[in-house]
Amino acid sequence: MSLWQFFAQNRAEVLQLTLEHLWMVGLSMAIAVAIGVPVGIWLTRRQVAEKPVLGVANVIQTIPSLALFGFLLPAPWIGARAERIAVLALVLYALLPVIRNTYVGIMGVDRAVVEAGRGMGMTGRQLLLQVELPLALSVIIAGVRVATVISVGLATIAAAIGAGGLGEFIFRGLAMVNNVVILAGAVPAAILALLADFGLGLLEKHLRPA
Amino acid sequence: MIHARGGTQAGRDYRQGLRERAPGCENRRAGSSPSRTFMPADTHPDVAVEFRDVCYRLDHGATLLHHLNLAVRRGELLVLLGRSGSGKTTSLKLINRLLEPSSGQVMVEGRASTHWDPIQLRRKIGYAIQEVGLFPHFSVERNIGLVPALQGWPRQRIQERVRELLQLVGLEPQIAARRPRELSGGQRQRVGVARALAADPPILLMDEPFGALDALTRAELQREFLALQRRLGKTTVFVTHDLREALLLGSRIALLEAGRLLATYTPNQFLHAKEPLAAAYVAAFHTGNSPQGGA
Amino acid sequence: MKRALTAAVLGLALLAGCGPSRQNVVVVGSKNFPEQLILGELIAQQVEARSHLKVERRFYLAGTYICQQAMLAGRIDVYPEYTGTALTAILKEPPLKDSAAVYGKVKQQYEQRFHFAVLPSFGFNDTFAIEIRGDDARRLHLSTISQAAQYTPQWRAGFGYEFMERPDGYKGLVAAYGLKFAKPPLIMDLGLLDRALVNKQIDLAAGNSTDGLIPVLGLAILQDDKHYFPPYYAVTIARDETLARHPEVRVALAQLAGKVTDDDMRSLNYAVDGQHRSVTDVVREFRHQKRLD
Repeated sequence: MSLWQFFAQNRAEVLQLTLEHLWMVGLSMAIAVAIGVPVGIWLTRRQVAEKPVLGVANVIQTIPSLALFGFLLPAPWIGARAERIAVLALVLYALLPVIRNTYVGIMGVDRAVVEAGRGMGMTGRQLLLQVELPLALSVIIAGVRVATVISVGLATIAAAIGAGGLGEFIFRGLAMVNNVVILAGAVPAAILALLADFGLGLLEKHLRPA
Repeated sequence: MIHARGGTQAGRDYRQGLRERAPGCENRRAGSSPSRTFMPADTHPDVAVEFRDVCYRLDHGATLLHHLNLAVRRGELLVLLGRSGSGKTTSLKLINRLLEPSSGQVMVEGRASTHWDPIQLRRKIGYAIQEVGLFPHFSVERNIGLVPALQGWPRQRIQERVRELLQLVGLEPQIAARRPRELSGGQRQRVGVARALAADPPILLMDEPFGALDALTRAELQREFLALQRRLGKTTVFVTHDLREALLLGSRIALLEAGRLLATYTPNQFLHAKEPLAAAYVAAFHTGNSPQGGA
Repeated sequence: MKRALTAAVLGLALLAGCGPSRQNVVVVGSKNFPEQLILGELIAQQVEARSHLKVERRFYLAGTYICQQAMLAGRIDVYPEYTGTALTAILKEPPLKDSAAVYGKVKQQYEQRFHFAVLPSFGFNDTFAIEIRGDDARRLHLSTISQAAQYTPQWRAGFGYEFMERPDGYKGLVAAYGLKFAKPPLIMDLGLLDRALVNKQIDLAAGNSTDGLIPVLGLAILQDDKHYFPPYYAVTIARDETLARHPEVRVALAQLAGKVTDDDMRSLNYAVDGQHRSVTDVVREFRHQKRLD
């Protein structure tokens, strides 16, 4: 059977697994951004914290994904459901790019612009919302883009602990020693990653201040 | 924002007292009430800004200002002239509380800068810097209208004001819709001046605003600004290291060196000053011309 | 631009929110070795034949934990499990010897803790089988594990991953029989154990008692004379919610109770594993043979 035939015959399951995959990635990215952007902003206000915080995020990134899944298995509440483990692990892996890019993006805003704004009487909040964030947005989106692409890939491994998603095809194909099934998981996952990369890349470009 | 170096964040509560300082600058215990020395009757109604024995010291570093005493009269254009590191930009930033004095007081409109809400203070003071610092993601109109928008002016009023200001600084009304990146250096600085004037503040602070422009444009803007300032009667503190500019613009020139005020002069007085630094300046700039009317 | 973005995000959210309609679909899962595939296919074909429901197969799930997670998440509705595995690996209870007691406890706990129904057993007990080469068994006159205990110090053993980790696995076996081995056991994929045994890479393995290749490869099963291994009767686990929504599933599966003997399972396993026939065909044949269709 060719890959096309497999897709044609198993439309429902391909769609189901793709949706599970998207759900895992979408939810974890939303959480990672909700945590990572504020932390990145906070770091620009407390620069002494930059090294330790980014250091910790860096360490988390170096933990092999399967190992991290394993660490989380015995955790209360989180470990009870594979989806929770997967989402938590994906959030942790997405934090470094998001925090770092938020920090770098805001620090990269022209100092003269910030000084002019402050000198004219903008409050810290007004500066953040009207000046720093809009000007840093392109760099922040670049971080989100990297994190999303990483997440799509990592989510395939989540199937190893039973969280579902396109990785299930891959592991099934490995067990069946059937390349078509493996590709049925790998190809859509790769396409998702490429689409995310492309889409967010467009957004990033659009937001870049000339 | 530059506080004393050490990364202290913006928005420090202005009610916190000043810290202890090393000898060289008057000691002031933290928490002592500054109002002890604040006596409204003290301030001459004609004085818009006054430096009272102001010292400024970095956290673990040099003293940038030593016992500065200086009064800025309402309506005058006072030039702070000096070399790099003379303390002129520091002095300027003490007025709109981007910096706070280590000891002494900076009186603005009769109140110590530390007694003002910093945001309200800054919105009452126009601020123009050398790099201009226009928001690249705002149109010219939105840039100019920044403080009015912060003050909550209705849109109509802001638009009218912007039109008025563009005319004032010699720019075409069409420029309102453009972005800063589409403007020349001279145009940008005009917009910067317009922005500083937008909310009609009584005081203007200008930190070498024309320094980054080519000589011709600079001369043009100097002339126009002088006329503008005379017309509007705004109290202006103008920082520069260029004697020609100082002589052209200033009703008075305060000469600063190594954090100390050497003396204040009228332009004419400056040209004939015996003070060695002043004389050195005059010699360096080869000016034999009369102070007003051209470089 | 902002509008397009909002539309895209909303669209994606909507898409993720509603999957394909699961109204008349029953998802059958199974683990990833031949016996499980056979049982899963048996369940699936039975439901298809005896109801108007559509069955989706989600086989080759890589283990007990994964199947349990899939059930909890509602990604599968039904799957075949073993009573002993359910007791120790999922419920984390200590192993029991009596098969009725095990079944009862599992049924009660599964209902209480997970709202899963444990349907009556297929009929066979797929417990761990300690296998040695037939030649060795005959030569040394070995028929029980206790008898083999004296020879194990000279042997190398081979086990699968799950066996090594499970509380009712390696550790307990060694303790119960006082087994000592020359070197630590080789850990490998279940499917490779038989071959390794035949090729003398290992001398003893823990396989499944229903392994189809046992008779074919000339392997001998050592009797568990101390009754160390708990019973592992194969049962169908189904989500209460699914059975409530589709009562016909319970009716259909009731017909499978007790229909598969130990020998049946071995021949089915051999057909798929040894003769490499398709699972679908083998199961269809079996159902015809047992007059289930």
